[in-house]
Amino acid sequence: MKELILQLKNNIIQVLNLEDLTPADIDNDAPLFGEGLGLDSIDALELIVMMEKEYGIKLKNPAEGKEIFKSINVMAQYISDHRTK
Amino acid sequence: MYILSDNIISPLGYTTAQNFKAVAAGRSALERRERDDLSPEPYVAARFSEAQWGELAIEGLSHFEALAVRSVVDAISTTGIDIAGPDVVFILSTTKANIENLRTGCEPDDCFAPNMAAKRIAKHLGFATQPLVVCNACISGVAALITAHRLIADGAYKYAVVCGADVLSRFTLSGFQSLKALSAQECRPFDIERIGLNLGEAAATMVLTAEPTEFSIVKGAICNDAFHISSPSKSGEGAFLALKAIGADKVRDRLAFINAHGTATMYNDQMEAVALERAGLNDVPTNALKGFFGHTMGAAGILETIISVRALEESTVLATRGYEETGTSVSLNLSPENRPSHNEAFVKMISGFGGGNAAILVTKSEARLEERMSEEDFTTEPTHNIVINSQRATLDGQQFRTTATGKSLLVDLYKTFIADYPKFYKMDPLCRLGFVASELLLRAAASTVDAIILFNHSSSTVADRNYWATVSNHDDSFPSPAHFVYTLPNIVTGEIAMRNNIHGETAFYIINEHDSSIKESILHSFAHASAATSFLTGWIDYPDDETFVAQLSVIRKSNKETTNIL
Repeated sequence: MKELILQLKNNIIQVLNLEDLTPADIDNDAPLFGEGLGLDSIDALELIVMMEKEYGIKLKNPAEGKEIFKSINVMAQYISDHRTK
Repeated sequence: MYILSDNIISPLGYTTAQNFKAVAAGRSALERRERDDLSPEPYVAARFSEAQWGELAIEGLSHFEALAVRSVVDAISTTGIDIAGPDVVFILSTTKANIENLRTGCEPDDCFAPNMAAKRIAKHLGFATQPLVVCNACISGVAALITAHRLIADGAYKYAVVCGADVLSRFTLSGFQSLKALSAQECRPFDIERIGLNLGEAAATMVLTAEPTEFSIVKGAICNDAFHISSPSKSGEGAFLALKAIGADKVRDRLAFINAHGTATMYNDQMEAVALERAGLNDVPTNALKGFFGHTMGAAGILETIISVRALEESTVLATRGYEETGTSVSLNLSPENRPSHNEAFVKMISGFGGGNAAILVTKSEARLEERMSEEDFTTEPTHNIVINSQRATLDGQQFRTTATGKSLLVDLYKTFIADYPKFYKMDPLCRLGFVASELLLRAAASTVDAIILFNHSSSTVADRNYWATVSNHDDSFPSPAHFVYTLPNIVTGEIAMRNNIHGETAFYIINEHDSSIKESILHSFAHASAATSFLTGWIDYPDDETFVAQLSVIRKSNKETTNIL
């Protein structure tokens, strides 16, 4: 899981162009949206693309993202439960 | 400005009369397509059939160009104007022009750029003046009518031939899919069950003149949300301000209807309902035409205005096809059926990416709602200017100290002098250039501006290629929404408006690099018509990391009389 979390953080930093951040700057339990990283609706859609491209997880409904992208921990758990690659 | 003639070419017909007849009878061009060459998943769109393309195609021209040419030819056929005259301007409104060429490949490298298409169309038709492309995302059509209106009012031209066109492509369809904005059902504007929009292809042309005719465009306005580059403002700020600016509330009792944008996305329709309520217009009969034509992008503003003029003539408020039950927090006066109205004017609203919102007031000329433009003399003067290219950045003649070059120069300027806006890193190169240049410039000016009007030659070519790289491989296609939202040049005006909270006009024009006369005419006619007293303007082009350039200025406008008194 630790390895997945680090890889996930690096993926997020890369696809969302969070150039000023390092994995250590992202709290595993902090909300990804709202405060925190200052992400917006386009970032949420980009994360949906990343989920499919990197982990083979296809979200049918973008609203599902709300629950899954709650925090790094929640996201990593979802990925490890549902990944197909 | 007066409407001399018009044309619509859509899958419903090749003339305005055919299209109006179809819509009045409730016929729609929307059709469900299973997965095909444009999309790996089913979708609903208004597309020309193979047989129709057989009729519309012109040898030596792309589908997009042929569509525009045929629409203009029909529109001018009854006018008797000589389009080779020096007093006729050709304005093309489009979002993606020949973007399909990115897929099929062509020479030269930038053959997909809107400017190339405009030149070929203008040459084929025989225009002698340089064409002008309005590339303001979904509001392009109405923005082009406003530009034409001002250029004629300012005396720069006698006639304006304004053509809006777009065709469906894998590029555009995949982009809207990546934003989860498309419905796989027929769209349902303002309805409780709406889930997204359908795209459509069409061309529509309007010829405007200063000589009185039966119908006139009284006034137009463009206002930015300064909220987000792809989501509309929740308070409908820009749309509300545009409605106020054209005085829609003052003529509410004379309005036959309001033709809304009504894309049938959750956010757009809700935003428009809020804006209409704020402007005190939510009781006025309202309709949306996307259920007939789909969202025809660069053509939409012109096509929907033409259909609305015809409806005004026929004393009809056309149905909103797909609407059944109120689906917005404010209830509007909508109907799935045609209704009668004998009033003499209507308002066309439209909104789009980059935060732009536009509205125009159109009337029967006998209603005499005409507004005279101010006769007051004014002067405009640049107060500060900045030049940034791949080698250096110079503000008011003073060069910034930096050793970086190319795209690193922009990052270096950001880190050294700005540093408090991480969204910079999400921007495409054109927006990065515009953002850094505007930050340094507005800081020097020590004040904000009322409007942003920018020009270039290469549109959003780098963003277009970057997005296409995420789509082009069919077996490994993951269309990127974050790249797609930057594939319009006017997004840079939206980024600057957002950062500086500018709610005035934002506009982007694509012109020939060396044609400064059309640029001067646009700026003069804008300054003449607009209440703005300061604006950010100039050339901003990013063909690649070596040849990019921004030459921007802050311009202040002052009335000559006022200056004398002071």
